[in-house]
Amino acid sequence: MLNNSRTGSPTKPDRETARDLAALVTSGLMLAVILNFLSMATGIAAAAVSDSDAKCLACHSMKLEKLLENGERLSLQVPVADFTESVHSSFGCTSCHQNIDDRKHPKTKVAISNSRDYSVEQNQSCRNCHAAKFEQYEGSIHASLVADGDDAAPLCTDCHSAHAVKSLAIYEPLTGQPCMNCHENIFEAYAESVHGAARANGNVIRASHIQAPICADCHRAHEITAVAANDRLQSTCLSCHEGASLAHDEWLPNAGLHLDVVACAACHSPMAERRIDLQLYDNVTQTPVGRNENDAVFQERVRKIDAAGDGLDPLELWSLVRQTGHEGRATDVTLRGRMEVRTGVDAHRLAVKSSAVRDCSNCHQYGADVFQNVTVSITRPDGRKQRYQAKSEVLSSVVSVNSVGDFYTLGGTRIKLLDALLILGLIGGVAIPVGHMTIGRYLRKKQQAGGSRCERIM
Amino acid sequence: MRTNHVNPARREGTYINPLPIRIWHWINALGFVLLILTGAQIRYVDLFNLMSFEAAVKLHNWVGFTVIANYFLWLGYYVFSDRITNYHPVLDARIFVRNFFRQVRYYGYGIFKGERSPHHVHPYDKFNPMQRLTYQLVMLVAAPISFITGVMMWDIKRFQSWIEMVGGIRMVDTLHVLMFILFVFFIFVHAYMGALGQKPSTHYKEMFTGYEEAEGTPAH
Repeated sequence: MLNNSRTGSPTKPDRETARDLAALVTSGLMLAVILNFLSMATGIAAAAVSDSDAKCLACHSMKLEKLLENGERLSLQVPVADFTESVHSSFGCTSCHQNIDDRKHPKTKVAISNSRDYSVEQNQSCRNCHAAKFEQYEGSIHASLVADGDDAAPLCTDCHSAHAVKSLAIYEPLTGQPCMNCHENIFEAYAESVHGAARANGNVIRASHIQAPICADCHRAHEITAVAANDRLQSTCLSCHEGASLAHDEWLPNAGLHLDVVACAACHSPMAERRIDLQLYDNVTQTPVGRNENDAVFQERVRKIDAAGDGLDPLELWSLVRQTGHEGRATDVTLRGRMEVRTGVDAHRLAVKSSAVRDCSNCHQYGADVFQNVTVSITRPDGRKQRYQAKSEVLSSVVSVNSVGDFYTLGGTRIKLLDALLILGLIGGVAIPVGHMTIGRYLRKKQQAGGSRCERIM
Repeated sequence: MRTNHVNPARREGTYINPLPIRIWHWINALGFVLLILTGAQIRYVDLFNLMSFEAAVKLHNWVGFTVIANYFLWLGYYVFSDRITNYHPVLDARIFVRNFFRQVRYYGYGIFKGERSPHHVHPYDKFNPMQRLTYQLVMLVAAPISFITGVMMWDIKRFQSWIEMVGGIRMVDTLHVLMFILFVFFIFVHAYMGALGQKPSTHYKEMFTGYEEAEGTPAH
């Protein structure tokens, strides 16, 4: 065949080859025309994107969908403007979509079981460039929820978006984005709070021009921990309100202790519903119980102790504290009490200082509302608390001298048995003198009567 | 060397309550009444409203430290003077027990029959055995427990390690309240027994003037 082609007129196969080539070139030209047309139609040409990205967007700017194995339809459409205006536009599609081989795509079909799994898998690509931030995210409550299989837990793209990735400045204004997408009620409470109002009014809340905080200022952007995990939130309050410790010292007895065991919001969110949380704590390892323990074991223990399921009573709580420990070594498990607000919404309704709870008797009296809501908690490795309901009597029972030894509120959680003893002491203190006087008078009268009788006889 | 400190102008009575002890006693009495009232207010905000919780805590703290300082006036006086014998005139347990029950018999029976107290007051032996035992328990056990637990609760963070040694803040408070109950009981009985002299006012006067008006048993 080769010889023929060199020496004479084209044979039949040669003609076919030429026709194929012509068809290919024509198709190529047509495709180029179509792509060019599409590019112009979708605005790709106007945007400064690489040829390679333009090639991707030529299809993905259209309404494409992929049928996933679970029957879901995954949109493959990327609005051109989203990508071209994003801070990632200069890196190109394959910087993130590294598994796409542009020589084989889209011929090679990639099976995707469901959109969530795909998003979780694709989330890892952020690590390539943002290793430090990604590490912070991995230690966050958000990542922990993802690991637990919570489909609503946010991935990087849920806050930053997949393709319309914007600079940090976009999160500064008081829009609530992206946190509000999931925490709408909390954001609304924040927006009405002293912080939200100050931020809306130009941010200046003091002469020193300190900006009123927005979500990430207290909770951080990526290393968001469970609220109950540590005292970081309180430290965060004090980092702006640096004079708060001294200000409390001026009027509040045991101010340092109050700041340790009372959440800031418990007083500074005056309408908040509050509760007492008794956290099981191991004094030997200096860690909250649960950090190194399988909480299913604990759950079973609570279930057995509180068989009626009506909340732990004083004896049940005492039993729980005694049983909670690590086998094979000495433990000193105790309950650490803390006053907190019941909901995240309440925690964000921070009011102006003049509205804060200042009246001590709000908590320091028996029967105060806060002592009617009691929980006992263990702390999971990610800092989240697993709470179990307890009866309010656990705070005022004599049994609690042992089990709730590290938490006491003057007057508020007083032990009822001591009240009974005081009544006995009072009765005794009055009865002894009155009894002694009465006996004395009776005997004197008797003596006088005896004397008169003697006189009469004589 | 023992001295009687008898004022020549007051030879009609024996000088049994020296000035430092009288000062200590009345500061202590007023202090304990205030501590009981403010303590009750702190503990029972829901039951009565004598003053605000905040004011009660402040007053309780100030009075508490005054009473502690005053305690050392009492302790110093007895340790550094020869009057310590008032608490231990004879170091013999058998004599003490015998005299103790004689005194119990007197208050339970003899006093009603018009008998005289079996204990004879002397500047160096002014307490009857019942007083000796009670006052030592109060001053050497109950008061120090009250003071120490009170100071711990005054600044919980500062004394955290001590509180943990005692068994936690609730244990500290429980001990403090038990002593409070004891003092409530004591103050009633003490005030009544102080009125069991020749006349109801006899021992009270002694505690003001320092002189025993007639033979009997002083309140302190």
